[in-house]
Amino acid sequence: MKNLMTIFMAEFKKSHFLYFHTNMIYFSLLVWPIILFFSAYYSFKPFDTKSENVLSEYVSNQEIGSFLLIGYLGYIFYFSLMQSAFQMAPERARGTLELIFLSPVSRLAVIYGRAMANLLEGVWLFFVFTVLGLFFFGDIQPHNWWGIPLSLFLLIISAVVWGGFLNAIFLFSRDAGFFFLIIQEPLLLFSGVRIPIPVLPIWGKFISYLFPLSYVLLIYREIVMRGASLFEVSTMIYSLLVVIIVFILLTSWIIRKAEKNSKINGSMALY
Amino acid sequence: MIKVEQVYKTYINKHRNFLFFSETRQTEAVCGVDLYVNPGEIVGLLGMNGAGKTTLIKMMSTLLSPTSGTITIDGMDVVKDALKVKSIVNMIAGGERMLYFRLTGRQNLEYFGNLYGLRGSLLKDRINYLLSKVGLEKAADTPVERYSKGMKQRLQIARGLINDPKYLFLDEPTLGLDVSVAKRLREFVQELVHREGKGIVLTSHYLEEIEELCDRVYIANNGRIIMHDTPKNLVFNITHGNVLNIVVPEINDKLNNNLRTLIELHNANIEISSNEEGILISIKSKKDITTEVVQTIYNSNVNLISLYIEKPKLEDAILQLENGVA
Amino acid sequence: MFLTIQATFRRNYLVMRHSLPYTSIIGSLLSGFYMILFSYLIYKIMFNGKLDDSFIKYTGSSDYITFAVLGSTVYILSISVLLIVSRSLISELRQGTLETIFLSPASRQGYFLGCMLQGLMLVGIEFIGILVMGFFFGLDITNINPISASITLVLIIFSFYSQALVLGAIMVWFRDTYITQNTLITLMGLISGVSFPIEYLPDWLQYLSKIMPLTFGLVAFRETIMLGGELVSSFESISYLIMLTTCYFLIGKYLLIKVEKNILEKITE
Repeated sequence: MKNLMTIFMAEFKKSHFLYFHTNMIYFSLLVWPIILFFSAYYSFKPFDTKSENVLSEYVSNQEIGSFLLIGYLGYIFYFSLMQSAFQMAPERARGTLELIFLSPVSRLAVIYGRAMANLLEGVWLFFVFTVLGLFFFGDIQPHNWWGIPLSLFLLIISAVVWGGFLNAIFLFSRDAGFFFLIIQEPLLLFSGVRIPIPVLPIWGKFISYLFPLSYVLLIYREIVMRGASLFEVSTMIYSLLVVIIVFILLTSWIIRKAEKNSKINGSMALY
Repeated sequence: MIKVEQVYKTYINKHRNFLFFSETRQTEAVCGVDLYVNPGEIVGLLGMNGAGKTTLIKMMSTLLSPTSGTITIDGMDVVKDALKVKSIVNMIAGGERMLYFRLTGRQNLEYFGNLYGLRGSLLKDRINYLLSKVGLEKAADTPVERYSKGMKQRLQIARGLINDPKYLFLDEPTLGLDVSVAKRLREFVQELVHREGKGIVLTSHYLEEIEELCDRVYIANNGRIIMHDTPKNLVFNITHGNVLNIVVPEINDKLNNNLRTLIELHNANIEISSNEEGILISIKSKKDITTEVVQTIYNSNVNLISLYIEKPKLEDAILQLENGVA
Repeated sequence: MFLTIQATFRRNYLVMRHSLPYTSIIGSLLSGFYMILFSYLIYKIMFNGKLDDSFIKYTGSSDYITFAVLGSTVYILSISVLLIVSRSLISELRQGTLETIFLSPASRQGYFLGCMLQGLMLVGIEFIGILVMGFFFGLDITNINPISASITLVLIIFSFYSQALVLGAIMVWFRDTYITQNTLITLMGLISGVSFPIEYLPDWLQYLSKIMPLTFGLVAFRETIMLGGELVSSFESISYLIMLTTCYFLIGKYLLIKVEKNILEKITE
């Protein structure tokens, strides 16, 4: 356990000094998400929001702003971890990845340490984003204040697990841009960031339940926008936990597979 | 002791031809290698074309698994007991990779120390000791991107020693370094072996380095070990010994006959040519026959203008070997 | 200049043949697919295909799907052309071949044109691919005026080319591609009328959108396809487009000369 903490701290410090000094973090975790958020917001404008529609069963037309704000907030967390996973490529190029594998350190600890570190770095940006959001859409009035820390907690846990999964995948892959397309864009489309999941056709729902973010956003919105009680969202929370465990198992399997593969082929990249 | 027994390594690579079509190719990087390294000795690994040196080093350091054969380090198998082996080995490669450039020297060492489970004052002391050992105390808190090549290399060495490994793999450690920096590095390596009793495997393109440092040398070619001996013996066996050069003003019949007899007796080679000083006689022999030759010249009443002995270096041996192999 | 175009074209063509960048083609096709899918889902499923009157007022059409498909297609075209041209210099810089190019008296415009024309071989595939996908979602081009549409498309491509010269100079100056390109691309997605008419944006963003060739290119292109307009009918946007193209071209040319000096000094340092 003590060892695990050491690795956590080591990865945290490393990520901090490596990436947090750079401008990139401001752009990728603040400027771009804000632009994307507004793009989504205005994408709803051409439509008739006055009369009854499927959306209004789930989100009232005045709530679209805060609906999207919560969606993008979760998305930023997940996006920041995609960014950290991108850093696997320079680690590979510099040869430091090989040194990590040369050491007897627990691979899972390194992977989650990285994810955790990068997530915490992004937290303050989250606050900036929220404050900006409240300024523009002053209609977020949570029904349950206790729901905010709970939702945030679930968001962080699920994001770290997601980040660990991405880190593991990027051990395999040389072409990060491609994975961005096949993972990140569907995440944006199907996890309820912009389109409420109940509205999606059945195949869309199926995809959405593969992303932990979908559950987190459902819970978040139920609690904060609807005022649902803990009991009402408990099924969702249990489902989220199951998905998280599956992802942890998958991650550890991928890492073992990647290392084994690298020992045979001399390179970790399968793709 | 590191023990490599009948180790083979075959890579199977996929080559993409067009779109998603690919073919697999097999490359045999290492074929049936046996070698051993004792603690307290430096063993050189010299390679010619496609020797498989790096593959061999990576297998010994647990980064690659052999396709067949076994490698044990102090009795532990590098595949089955990989984690235990990892804590007693480390690797240092030349060049400027394998460091985090935005971190300071100290931060780099802290990170890598943590990976080996070191922390607290133990790690702090270890880092200070290593930094002073490689002469980087003053630059310890400077980001690595501002280091010179030599400083980066010294930091690499400190990094490789962070877990106080019993065995160390040095892959071209002096690549591109200044002469003086390389020399200090070599002295340090000798100290590691002779004072701290570490076992070291060294590969290098600089043959003088191998000759100076190594107790034994393995020569690899196309994934096979083709020779194994001390540097001195290798040179001697491959190049057939020293070349004795003598300049005389003239060669009379007596000298000619006596020399021929001597040459035949010792199974040596002789070449006669002329230079601006006089006539140059070059004699190549396995045994040192300088005394006999000088005696013969004296007995033949010929004056000796000059005499010098050419000692072949490892470089000559390797060149000769390469020509032979080709 | 023609020889430089030819030589650059040939070199890039050989590189492409050697390793076909099919991940980037699939990437573009997927991006287009996701964009169109998003528009389709919100239009058909979330809002039951009901548009606000304002949309018809701003666009003169009630065909949202065609509006969105054309928006996505040209947006992705703009990204591809911008990146191909602007990144060419910085990738030479990273490969270490930039100095040799600057050393030669070769026409700089010839070099960039060669890069773009070669790139268009792939971009063309992407463009057609996304349009074909669009048909499955309900793209309607029965009103098309083919001649005006083709001319507009060529003008649009050249406007992106000019904009890319400026972008390329900025990238080399700051030694950065990631931040510069993504900021521009996301911003264009917001302010250039890709998935909604710019009239919905606040005024200050509408002013900002006027510096993007994509804004005018999209208006003109949609007009020729959705409304079957002659070039004359989109005279205003076409002339704006040509004006912007000229401005970007001149600024780009000027900046590239500056950058060239700066790089040669920095490399020698």
